Amino acid sequence: MSEAPVLQVAGLSVWLGTRTIVDGITLDLLPGQLTVMVGPNGAGKTTLMRALAALLPSTGRITLAGRPLQAFSPRERARRIAYLPQGHVFHWPMSVAAVVALGRQPHIDVFAPLADDDRAAVSRALTATGVAPWADRAVTTLSGGERARVALARALATQAPILLADEPTMSLDPRHQLVVMELLAQAAHEGGAVLAVIHDLALAARYADRVVMMEQGRLVADGRPRDVLTPERIAAVFAVEATITDSAIGPIPILQRPL
Amino acid sequence: MWPRLVQNAQDWNRECSSRETFESNCFPGRTFRIQNFHMRFPCPARGEGTDRSEWHCCASIDLGPRRMSKPHRGWRLEAALVALIAALALLSLMIGSAGLSPATAIKGLIDGTGPAGIIVRDIRLPRTLLALLIGATLGLSGAALQGLLRNPLAEPALFGAPQAASAGASFMIAYGLAGATSFAVPLAGIAGALISIGGLVAIAGRRASLTVTLLAGLALASFAGALTALILNFAPNPYAALEITFWLLGSLEDRSSAHVLMALPFFVASWIVLALNLRAYRALALGEDAAASLGVDIDRTRTMVVIGTALGVGAAVAVAGSIGFIGLVAPHLVRRAVGSDPARVCLPAALMGAVLLMAADIAVRIVPTPPSAIAIELKVGVVTALIGVPFFLAMIFSERRLLEGSPS
Repeated sequence: MSEAPVLQVAGLSVWLGTRTIVDGITLDLLPGQLTVMVGPNGAGKTTLMRALAALLPSTGRITLAGRPLQAFSPRERARRIAYLPQGHVFHWPMSVAAVVALGRQPHIDVFAPLADDDRAAVSRALTATGVAPWADRAVTTLSGGERARVALARALATQAPILLADEPTMSLDPRHQLVVMELLAQAAHEGGAVLAVIHDLALAARYADRVVMMEQGRLVADGRPRDVLTPERIAAVFAVEATITDSAIGPIPILQRPL
Repeated sequence: MWPRLVQNAQDWNRECSSRETFESNCFPGRTFRIQNFHMRFPCPARGEGTDRSEWHCCASIDLGPRRMSKPHRGWRLEAALVALIAALALLSLMIGSAGLSPATAIKGLIDGTGPAGIIVRDIRLPRTLLALLIGATLGLSGAALQGLLRNPLAEPALFGAPQAASAGASFMIAYGLAGATSFAVPLAGIAGALISIGGLVAIAGRRASLTVTLLAGLALASFAGALTALILNFAPNPYAALEITFWLLGSLEDRSSAHVLMALPFFVASWIVLALNLRAYRALALGEDAAASLGVDIDRTRTMVVIGTALGVGAAVAVAGSIGFIGLVAPHLVRRAVGSDPARVCLPAALMGAVLLMAADIAVRIVPTPPSAIAIELKVGVVTALIGVPFFLAMIFSERRLLEGSPS
């Protein structure tokens, strides 16, 4: 972890009216690291993600590659931060290839066609996520798990050094949850700084290089999965009794009952 | 340079012992080219050894340049529509109370002398040009609004835009504040359209749910209708009221080149403003947050589409009265040929809009009018509404599932 952080956040707060949703968050994202954010509903995770993607006004300092985030034009920013929102929304029955090609939009000029390196990036994202066989199909005809992979392929196609994924495993079957987590881990291990909101603590423990825990707008823990996901902290933050089981893939929290 | 496609044979549980079985088993219905195929080799980086089941089939795939924005299918549709527009333009110059042969019409258009020259140049050419320009503007406005709101049912007329533009323009006409060909009429129309579309987009808000959008449009259209009724109600004289009533029906009859020149700058401005946001329409297919994260300035896009649509619809209403549903029908018809990419739809939707309005304007000249009718001709706005509303109902019927499932 000697590499310099690509995204530095200091004292970040977001207000909605008079309510503080995100309260003085300080966080560094490092290249090559899959950081998983966990926290109960309403903790401000989505708001924080949106603020990091500059979709919300916030106070505090966000520094991207050494420059303040506000100094970037929307397109420059979009080339550096790929953001995958919740829910994998597709409003039109566009082809999978066309949807994934949208990830290249920050790189191309208004009426310019895709260049060779854009096409290569799209092909790479299509094959990496395994959605290439459906490249021609309308995205609205795919199942939820398939759509999630297409949405992720779109975010990967940007080839941004930072990937923010908000609940990428939401409403996916167990297999697709694993597939998506492996793709995120792969993106991180290829040098990206990946921050993903995940609700499943076992998935977080298994795949994360680092876990940050949010509660009521604040970061309450930040560190290795085994250090953050302890029974005491899970009880305090989630009000759930949990035990830690040592398995072949490392210590995994098992949830027992609500407190 | 093409990325490698790695597929685990065991994971797929399919036979990949040769290139042919790999292609047919792993990619049924494949349309891309598989460039290099390497069969079953161990990948030491993945810690694979001699166990054959762990080996991978490897290939490069070439998706080709055209596949990223599929379905493209060239520019054949546009070419066909342009040819159709040319044919309809000729037909429009020929047909009227005095029928002309194609040769006479073209000759009249070119030299402009004699009765044929006057009929073609002074009467039928402005009308034909206005049908083309207004149709194209309405088709493009519909496609742009649909792109902005991610909704195939968006259409200026459903948002009260022509109604509000009519209210603004009729106020100008009723009180004789301006001559019918003065710039004040389109400006009043544009102001009306700006208020209604701006209001609708503001009410629909971030999520732009179908239910909220349509209900707000209904309310705005009714309010604009009430304002127009109020103006008619207090019209200074019955002739002004009658004039406004017929003008509201929407017609291209008896328009002069002054009307064309008055509206043209607004149409061109509308096209430019709407076309500048093509990328945004495409990105918005993923929702506002994803589009914003791709570098689209959502607020600016929204403002520009509102202004662009208001410019086009306001000017169209000012010269031709209320003509609805072109913006709904035109994008829908071309989507079958060019696919759903909301940016790709715009140009053919504009051309299709021109085709529809030109055809409707020719139709009103062919349909015989009952001798007792006050109006000399069937009004083109009546025709587009008579065809457009059943079309709209059919679309609602086919989108029922979507509408019922839409959050309010």
